[in-house]
Amino acid sequence: MTIPTAPLLELSTLWIQVTGTWCNLTCTHCLNSSGPHNPWLKSLDTDMVIRSIKEGAELGIKEIYYTGGEPFLHKDILLLTAHALEVAPTTILTNGTLITDQVADHLAELAQNSPYSLEIRISIDDVDPEKNDRIRGQGAFSKAIRALQVLHSRGLLPIVTATEILRDELPEGSGMYEQFRDLILSLGITKPRMKIMPVFSIGRMEGEGGPLLTPEMLDGFDYSLLQCSETRVVAEGGVYACPILAGLPQARLSEKSLKEAFKPCDLYHTACVTCYETGMTCKN
Amino acid sequence: MKPMDSQLSTLNSEPKEYRRIAVCGGIYNNYLALEAALEDIRRREVEAVFCLGDMGAFGPHPDRIFPLLDEGKVLAIQGNYDQSLAIGLDNCHCGYTDPRDNYFAQLSYEYTFRKTSHENKAWLGKLPTHRRVKLGQYRVLMCHGSPRRINEFLWESTSPNCLLEKFCRDFETDILLCTHTGIKWHRALNGCGHIINVGTIGRPENDGQVHVWYTLLTAGDDLQVEFIPVHYDHKTLAQEMEQEDLPLEFIETIRTGWWTTCLEILPAKERARGKY
Repeated sequence: MTIPTAPLLELSTLWIQVTGTWCNLTCTHCLNSSGPHNPWLKSLDTDMVIRSIKEGAELGIKEIYYTGGEPFLHKDILLLTAHALEVAPTTILTNGTLITDQVADHLAELAQNSPYSLEIRISIDDVDPEKNDRIRGQGAFSKAIRALQVLHSRGLLPIVTATEILRDELPEGSGMYEQFRDLILSLGITKPRMKIMPVFSIGRMEGEGGPLLTPEMLDGFDYSLLQCSETRVVAEGGVYACPILAGLPQARLSEKSLKEAFKPCDLYHTACVTCYETGMTCKN
Repeated sequence: MKPMDSQLSTLNSEPKEYRRIAVCGGIYNNYLALEAALEDIRRREVEAVFCLGDMGAFGPHPDRIFPLLDEGKVLAIQGNYDQSLAIGLDNCHCGYTDPRDNYFAQLSYEYTFRKTSHENKAWLGKLPTHRRVKLGQYRVLMCHGSPRRINEFLWESTSPNCLLEKFCRDFETDILLCTHTGIKWHRALNGCGHIINVGTIGRPENDGQVHVWYTLLTAGDDLQVEFIPVHYDHKTLAQEMEQEDLPLEFIETIRTGWWTTCLEILPAKERARGKY
């Protein structure tokens, strides 16, 4: 069967998988199977990240995202955040468990000193601590909540990021969005911010296959609705098409530079169907 | 009312050269602020007045702005809202990603769609999406969101220099004018251009002040950029919004100067400055 492709319409968003798949948690729905032991994708060297930011700036990117794994496991994450914020608005996707008072102080200082916004996205999957920790691991909820509070108290406005993994367990008539909004407000955070994402059939949720995109489905389709039309990801081994597929050989577009990854990418995975159907983006 | 054919005839002419122009963005049905802005502009000896689109949204009585645009000889371009109204789309395509933002955007879009005449929608459909003029020695490109996308948000804190320099290079301009976000800003790039978000006159800019803003540009040895506050009868506007059963959240914004909706799209820095 012919695999359809998506063109790169512009490089707007640069993702950098700073810690590969190295994480201190082992969430049951993790889309790249991150965890503490033997990560299948290694962390990036500090120099490599700085080179990627420099190349992104030359190419006129609009924003930078740090992800992993858990970015705060990177020994130089604060230095790297400073470098990113010199160039563009920057978002860090984190489970929040490693954000101490000292780290929050440093982040607040970086945010204050940059003309660009620093966004910290904290993952929580349910407003109920027990349900959340069933997915994310014992104690994950309370540590994430504490991270929200320490960031908020320093004037940073964290964005709570939830997947729909537990949507089916919601009480009838109860909206996920409203539940999270109420939770955040109950913490005394008066500017609640959140992002809800679908679950992808990939990583620890990889199924037995599933439907794939066909060229016919993409006939007349507006490719700008797919994040891979404006995104590239730097991770161990090269440059990949999107954050969901980073590290997978078929999603690799270049072994070296971002510029070399300015070419169409294969829409080969069942996860591509989720983006196609929902129009979702990993961006804020 | 009849479409403003006198204006349409100017759209495809060669870039005209000016010394001093006024530029406004996002009228959002706020005909009282538009009236006050045009009155203010008349006293400032400008050679032309431009509007960067989004005539509708948020406020009451959409059709009231069109005669004012005509009388004021305002040279307009299309915003995403205008495009949606003109071709009958089912939402404004503002580019929000949050359910609460989209909920409120939909309320104002349905109201505006219902209350905008067929003739005025057709007129919006004929507006260009960009305009080029000369301002003294400067090449000026006007767009609604960004030069590459009508509904792209160019906030001050999320528009890095590397992107803005690319815009100036790729679109061959010295000055880029945009609106769409609702909050004004100006950045002079290092020797290679100016980016100016001209703000909006449709609603205040989330700083607790009830006035709105437009922009005056004057070419001399240097470019002079002045943001001009416009005080208008916001209390009457709020009353009319009540009479039209528009959401209380919108009315609060007009009365207090704090945004209560379309907040989730704000980046961290801009969100931190507001009340909500």
